[in-house]
Amino acid sequence: MNVLKNLIKDSLVYLTHGKKSYHIWMAFLTFLMLVGMYCYSLQLDQGLSITGMNDRVSWGLYISNFTFLVGVAAAAVMLVLPAYVLKDFDFKQAVLIGEGLAVAALFMCLAFVIADMGGPARLWHMIPGIGVFNFPNSMLTWDVLVLNGYLFINLSIPFYILIMRYQGKEPNPKIYIPGVFISVFWAVAIHLVTAFLYQGLQARPFWNNALLGPRFLASAFAAGPSLIILVLAVIRKFTDFKIEDKTIKKIAMVVTVAAQINLIMLISELFKEFYAPTHHSESAYYLFFGLHGKAKLVPWIWTAISMNVIATIILTFHKLRNNLNILYFACAILFIGIWIEKGFGLIVPGFIPGPWGKIAEYFPTAAEVGVTIGIWAMGAFIFSILARTGIAIEMGIIKYKK
Amino acid sequence: MNKEIKKWFSLNLGNKKQNNCGCSDSKCGDQAMVKNKDGVAQVFDVNMDRRQAFKKLTAGLMIGAGAVSTSCSVVSGEKSKEKSEIEWEEYFKGNYKLMTDEEKNNTVDRLVRSYELRTGSKINISSKDAEKDVLFGYAFNISKCQGYMDCVNACVEENNQDRASQMQYIRIHEMNDGKGLNFGEADDTYYHEVPAAGHFYMGTQCFHCDNPPCVEVCPVQATWKEKDGIVVIDYDWCIGCRYCMAACPYDGRRFNWSTPEIPEQEVNKNQHYLGNRLRKKGVMEKCTFCIQRSRAGDNPACVEACPTGSRIFGNLLDPESEIRWVLENKKVFRLKEDLGTEPKFWYFMD
Amino acid sequence: MMNLKLSILLILAITLFSCKENHEEYHNIIDKIEANSMAYKKDSTFSNNQFEISELTTVIDNDPHFYIKNRKSEIESYACSECHNKPVSQLQSEDLGKKAHWDIKLIHADDKTMSCLSCHKDNDMDNLHSITGGKIDFNLSYQLCAQCHNKEVKDWKGGAHGKNISGWQTSRVSKLCVECHNPHNPSFEKRWPARYNTQMVEQRK
Repeated sequence: MNVLKNLIKDSLVYLTHGKKSYHIWMAFLTFLMLVGMYCYSLQLDQGLSITGMNDRVSWGLYISNFTFLVGVAAAAVMLVLPAYVLKDFDFKQAVLIGEGLAVAALFMCLAFVIADMGGPARLWHMIPGIGVFNFPNSMLTWDVLVLNGYLFINLSIPFYILIMRYQGKEPNPKIYIPGVFISVFWAVAIHLVTAFLYQGLQARPFWNNALLGPRFLASAFAAGPSLIILVLAVIRKFTDFKIEDKTIKKIAMVVTVAAQINLIMLISELFKEFYAPTHHSESAYYLFFGLHGKAKLVPWIWTAISMNVIATIILTFHKLRNNLNILYFACAILFIGIWIEKGFGLIVPGFIPGPWGKIAEYFPTAAEVGVTIGIWAMGAFIFSILARTGIAIEMGIIKYKK
Repeated sequence: MNKEIKKWFSLNLGNKKQNNCGCSDSKCGDQAMVKNKDGVAQVFDVNMDRRQAFKKLTAGLMIGAGAVSTSCSVVSGEKSKEKSEIEWEEYFKGNYKLMTDEEKNNTVDRLVRSYELRTGSKINISSKDAEKDVLFGYAFNISKCQGYMDCVNACVEENNQDRASQMQYIRIHEMNDGKGLNFGEADDTYYHEVPAAGHFYMGTQCFHCDNPPCVEVCPVQATWKEKDGIVVIDYDWCIGCRYCMAACPYDGRRFNWSTPEIPEQEVNKNQHYLGNRLRKKGVMEKCTFCIQRSRAGDNPACVEACPTGSRIFGNLLDPESEIRWVLENKKVFRLKEDLGTEPKFWYFMD
Repeated sequence: MMNLKLSILLILAITLFSCKENHEEYHNIIDKIEANSMAYKKDSTFSNNQFEISELTTVIDNDPHFYIKNRKSEIESYACSECHNKPVSQLQSEDLGKKAHWDIKLIHADDKTMSCLSCHKDNDMDNLHSITGGKIDFNLSYQLCAQCHNKEVKDWKGGAHGKNISGWQTSRVSKLCVECHNPHNPSFEKRWPARYNTQMVEQRK
């Protein structure tokens, strides 16, 4: 335990020192988190009526972000798989960053769920033993299990590796390789289970189709690694951590394939909804073209789709993809495009029109956006801490001194 | 059926009063004694004893903490101390479905006392269970509904719904003749003389499905189907995730986005724990077939209020009931039957 | 290899474990009702707390489960013969001024179908009379309505028409036809709805 104590002490010392840009970044994030906390306190006081949600559109910005971030968390495994399974050492450096990102994304997911709940003080009702855990009937319970399990895996494996490196020892593959294997399957599971949350509702025909789960996986594996590429670019710029070009280019391959599959799935969905439209296609009509004069989401979805298409085209061409600056641009617009698509383009239209055909539109309020920004800032904060400490240990800056 | 939850998922902490055997309640003392002596209990309920011990330990801890927090306060008066104590105990109680009769009575007493402390007036909350051989069903006569919305008002008054958000469980849709059951083109916020020419009227509310999708998806089993077919919610157990609302195909459920406010003089004081007792913000609610009325042998408020007799309610298991006669002699249908939810709410025409 | 085996075992375990709770054995609600109704026993005595049996009339002979309230006690000026000891035609010719129900208008079907004498005999105002001249007690006035509105009365006897005033559990007490439909002017007036939900309108803007 002496090791642990020292690790924490050394990390804290390291984290509180740094370049001016680091301090400004952390201060900025802290400010955003405080804004978020203030907005959340308003929500705790007045209830969820300060958000834009209503009885017809009962899930909004919070759950949209939750859904998207589960995908980002799942994508970390895209680096784990080649690094350990395919023994591709170029990926090894990126793995810790990826897993750190997964942890940050998972914490954000949990925060969004708690922010969305009407009674967060009663969260203990879900704990099996002292509460009632409706497993295996409710997909939400499955989601709770897989997300927490994934969080545990992504905390414990890198923690083990880092604490070994901290002591200058080599981590034992026999301990972490099984965990790595499990985490590969688990990552697919978390996003599939999250998709099943929506897919299993016969009341919402926009979600109740067979393609939702695979679509989630494809878009996750496009958006997650894009973010990892952007983060690696930042790390390259601001730290001395060596990340080779070919690591980034290999991740870019993953993004490309996933983005292409995502587009194919989009085409399949559009065909199903618009070739022989039924009453069930009304949600798709609302989203893409507007329905009965209500068209708040139309500019959003078309922006998202154009971003996705442009990014996919750029990524498909080797020349463009291998130019790192163009790659970063493509990854950025792909990330934003998928964020819009999975959020406003999936969760909100599922509720519109309502069960009796009426359209009550949704738009987030300022308080809702405040909480969302606060939680994103929290995620960035957690990631900055984890990445910085991880990199420092990997590079030997923080070392255990007996 | 729903009570047969596997015990190892659904341990509940229960009411501390039951475990606090040092108190003046002699009954609980005997209960504990019986548990220790009974040979069957010794053999089969070994887990129970461990659970009891765990319960008692944490119960003791909480009572201690609660007692300390409430009794150490020098400033607050007797009333607010009692209020905090009630709030404390109410926070830690378990799922109503799993409560013993004594625990149910205790929580009802606490709620009644809490209301009395807050407002000074008395209410009565029933915890009456479902009767045997009763399965409630509902029928709605489309030819007779004239769109008066008397049912909506009666429901709101009977069930203590939030006035500020104009919550209403029932929606009356003004449909178009010749367009069939096209809800998308119907109007449920009409305000003109009724019945309007060229239209007919249909009411929707929670249909109390026999295969309710909302019950499936609740992560904490805060909503379930009772033995008499009513789908109910334990308002204190609901965590407000609104998954059930997403799962309902019939817009049966309502959420308290803010604290519900009902003017004191309009509060219906005849309440049921699973029905029209006062709710708090962040919890789900819905039509309960007026469980406080139907379990007392009365018709729900909407059935009572309808001046044209379009609403029919009764026991599906009674072969001589009106509802059975309607099902057997009228051409009935239900909405969205292809979803497999088996709603117990039928529509018919003259 | 060990890792692969572990993973396969894990997946198997999950799939086996993930079956939903066993639902009831009935395929649909009608099967369930039919199966459970066989156990149902209803007692054949009158049981209702709101009404005294003395104030009720049975509708179907010897059926203790369907009642209506005694009508004659509700009519303001029954028995008619207490005032009407002369035929209506004679009363109308005498210039008596505006006595009780002098201005009754019959807005029920057309004048080929209905007139005062369709239901009332002017030498027996204490009872109603059928098309064939038979007596119909005021307490059983539904029998008169049934002459033309047989379908509605059949529905009423079954429970699909009319208003139940007794609750679902006890013997059924329904309103009599004339308690909703004024026999001289049976149609319902138009009116405005009881509420207008402005919140729902706001949400849809």
